[in-house]
Amino acid sequence: MSHVITLDQLKQTLGAKLADGARVVAPVLRGELAFFQEVSDLEQASFAPRVRFQNSIKEFFFPRHETLFSFVRQGSDVQLTDAPDFDVEQIVVGARPCDAASLPILDPLFAWDYQDRFFQQRRAKSTVVVFACKESDGHCFCSAMGGAPDNTAGADAIMFDLGDGSFEVRCVTDKGKALFTGKTTESDKVGKACDPPKVDFEIAPIANWVRNNFSSPAWEELSLRCVGCGACAFVCPTCHCFDIVDEGSYSKGKRVKNWDSCQTALFTLHASGHNPRATQGKRQRQRMLHKFVIYPDKFGQNLCTGCGACSRSCGVAFGVRPLLTALAQEVAKSEN
Amino acid sequence: MENQLKNAIRKLLEEKTVAVAIGYGRVGVDGAVGAIFVTNPDDVERLVWNSQCRQNLAVHLTRPEVKALGKPAVVVKGCDARAVVTLCNEAQIARENVYVVGVVCEGIVQADAAGAPTDKLCDKCLSCVEHAAKNVDLLIGDPAKAQELDNQNAPNAKTVGNQAKLAKLRAMSQPERFAYWREQFSKCIRCHACRQNCPLCYCNRCVADKNRPTRIDSSASLKGNFAWNILRAFHLAGRCVGCGACSAACPAGIELDLLNLTLANAAEEQFGYVSGRELGQAPLIGSYALTDKEDFIR
Repeated sequence: MSHVITLDQLKQTLGAKLADGARVVAPVLRGELAFFQEVSDLEQASFAPRVRFQNSIKEFFFPRHETLFSFVRQGSDVQLTDAPDFDVEQIVVGARPCDAASLPILDPLFAWDYQDRFFQQRRAKSTVVVFACKESDGHCFCSAMGGAPDNTAGADAIMFDLGDGSFEVRCVTDKGKALFTGKTTESDKVGKACDPPKVDFEIAPIANWVRNNFSSPAWEELSLRCVGCGACAFVCPTCHCFDIVDEGSYSKGKRVKNWDSCQTALFTLHASGHNPRATQGKRQRQRMLHKFVIYPDKFGQNLCTGCGACSRSCGVAFGVRPLLTALAQEVAKSEN
Repeated sequence: MENQLKNAIRKLLEEKTVAVAIGYGRVGVDGAVGAIFVTNPDDVERLVWNSQCRQNLAVHLTRPEVKALGKPAVVVKGCDARAVVTLCNEAQIARENVYVVGVVCEGIVQADAAGAPTDKLCDKCLSCVEHAAKNVDLLIGDPAKAQELDNQNAPNAKTVGNQAKLAKLRAMSQPERFAYWREQFSKCIRCHACRQNCPLCYCNRCVADKNRPTRIDSSASLKGNFAWNILRAFHLAGRCVGCGACSAACPAGIELDLLNLTLANAAEEQFGYVSGRELGQAPLIGSYALTDKEDFIR
């Protein structure tokens, strides 16, 4: 027996949550492009199957711009006010499995030497409903990263589009059950995800090459076309670097946390003017090291889910998959 | 035409006229086209020329990693060629230090929402009257074909494509237009792909990166986004060549080309100035004439 919910019932379920004061995040079409954003009415949401979304759901756990505290200065006295706690229920629905899979990867990072209440509170308050993939494209490589089109890592429930205006719902956690219990009907229809994307490289030998070839000239050669913007990092569900800056005036303002990217020259520019990562090759090397060596060494998981968002958003046809493909050739050369 | 291009570049590399050729190759996912840097004459087979050669390769001319390779040849379309000219006019590169290989471009296609090529021409191509790149050292392709396409587009060059989109925007009331840009800029994530893909955003230290003091908020808040996008447009006033690299690279799909086109139109209407049209032309913002219609300049 499976559990099925119609699109209308899904919208009603989420609409009721909205009416209860919950925050609902769903895919919204803006022109031809789909963005995850908070909706005020479920009619704004588009649950049609698609491979590409312009943003990752990470921004509802780790916003692109977040206030840490505000300050007011009066004479020699400074008053600090902490940013409020995140205490609203949040339901994020419609994400691809490779997007949600980033959340458990990021959990240890935000609970490591510093307990990041901003991320942790959002995680605790959120229910994540993923849609199993109906199709993949050439950018997808979840199958190389331990994922799958019906992966449930980071998800509280997974839905399978049955193609008839209804979805099979499989609850993964208690949060998922709490959202869907009593909302579905029993059925004999069973959903199916698309086949896993085909991948012609293996991560382990590439990661090993990355670890051992810090000084390889391949880094500069392969990175020549990268123009050093932050698009890949900002659309990536796992990239989590941020910058902390003060905004406002001398007497009144706030300290904010903004996304940052290791691909920009400014990222490692010292006050002296020296830049230890002066070229794009060094910056791309850092990105690969962080994703496939440093992060797994420290937290046991690769900092990549194989979603392909980076290469889909790249202005110069670069990104993780094209670079991994090129590095696989370096591995082959080194073995010969 | 692709073979003509390969042969020309092979010759340039073999005769050591240039040390590196910046061209297009199938380097991305599913053969997506991006820049390649050919230093070995035997590698010219990797070069491609087709309607997906969207990127403006002039962006690479000012990058230190590319400069370090030696004198470059660069493959440019008509729009891209104007960027090379403006880079020369702004003293960023010396014309004799770059070998410009122009192509006859019959139009570049748009990418769809998934990033795959469509059969729809880019907006800028609908109004293009420079199908053959100008101010080049060598032109690849049939100039007669380019002339024919130029003649086809010329009568409507100011009314179709992104000019039509801009006219629609300008016909809006001020609050409507503000609402339009508010919606557009609310999507901005401040990745600066617009800046990094722009051949004319070559500042060593962009004002957006200055933090002592901060000139504009680095936050992707509506305030920061308005400040950034408007500032960038102003800094490109009379400089933007309309290649559309900014909007093509924007992961949020913001129609940045319309913002720049507004100012490019103003430069042309007010001063008869088109950025990148001729070598040796003084930069519009960086020069003045005693014949200016405004008194304060004298």
